[in-house]
Amino acid sequence: MIQLGKNTRSTIVSKGLSAGRGQNTYRGLVKLMKGAEGARNYSQCDSMLIGDKCGAHTFPYIDVRNSTAIMEHEASTSKIGEDQIFYLRQRGLSSEDAVSMIVNGFCKEVFKELPMEFAVEATRLLGISLEGSVG
Amino acid sequence: MPGKVKRETGNALLEVKGLRVAVAGNEILKGVDLAIRAGEVHAIMGPNGSGKSTLAQVLAGHPAYTVVAGSATYDGKDLLALKPEERARAGVFLAFQYPVEIRGITNSYFLRSALNALRKERGEPELDPIDFLQVLEERVKAIGSDDAMMNRPVNEGFSGGEKKRNEILQLAVLEPRMAILDETDSGLDIDALKTVAHAVNQLRSPDRAFLIVTHYQRLLNYIKPDVVHVLADGRIVKTGGPELALELEAKGYDWLRDGVMVS
Repeated sequence: MIQLGKNTRSTIVSKGLSAGRGQNTYRGLVKLMKGAEGARNYSQCDSMLIGDKCGAHTFPYIDVRNSTAIMEHEASTSKIGEDQIFYLRQRGLSSEDAVSMIVNGFCKEVFKELPMEFAVEATRLLGISLEGSVG
Repeated sequence: MPGKVKRETGNALLEVKGLRVAVAGNEILKGVDLAIRAGEVHAIMGPNGSGKSTLAQVLAGHPAYTVVAGSATYDGKDLLALKPEERARAGVFLAFQYPVEIRGITNSYFLRSALNALRKERGEPELDPIDFLQVLEERVKAIGSDDAMMNRPVNEGFSGGEKKRNEILQLAVLEPRMAILDETDSGLDIDALKTVAHAVNQLRSPDRAFLIVTHYQRLLNYIKPDVVHVLADGRIVKTGGPELALELEAKGYDWLRDGVMVS
């Protein structure tokens, strides 16, 4: 993200999922240039771990050249817990459905910005690629 | 047996025999016997660490607990052989002491998915969002609650009282045959307690049994149990009628615990 103009605004929301032995990395540059008077950027990196052999890494690159510009970065990592899955199973959902519901909730913030067709597609893809990843 | 109350335990909906349960190698339940018939409300009371919540969790199938010995039969089936979701679909419901938060999923979506999983098991058609809304409204009205929580993410940002009310709302919608309430009263102020108790009373029916786990007699002022059990050190040390709860409130648990030491 490179911002040149005055009072420009931008938001980055990244959702990373790691399952099995997967490693997921966010690497993003936010550059607020000299002329970017009063510019703002907000970056948010959320990672979710499924299982205990995977990892998540976040490398935000921040380059701010105007002292009136504001740049915020937030990162979080969460793990699908046994208790969360048990809660959903106790209500009658299979463990696959439980995981897919938790993951979809996690990605909701991004999915809801997508056009309907893409959102449906993305949800389905997630379901397929997570098949059998719960041990 | 003169002088001794012998309860009829035939046709029990849930029958637990000699149940011994360990978690991380520690034996928590050391032989629990329990028989609950449809229509009955049983309360389990006991001091901290006596195994009350363990019993509730184990009946629902929490994977962290290992059954060492004993059996649990529900509706003629071996309950312990079933997966948690199979137990749920067969009509066993646990109202959690600490309900879990699920980000990004609305309560109504979650509850509809759960209800549809149950309906599928019974061979009934799944409900679409509009039909579900009708069912929901009717159930919400039946327990004198409101559906303000339905469009918020599951338990996220809920107060302690809201979480517990949400559990009871789920209970009302899913209509289980065996409802287990794990310290639903803890963390509730007196008004919330009355609301929850009122809801539970509305849900009492001849086909439904309740197992209510609680620390305090307070809740039992509003939900009148048929049977009260006292669990101490992993065993049921005393069983009686509702008057037992009052006796415990007056005397505490120590007199019973001493009795255990002697025997």
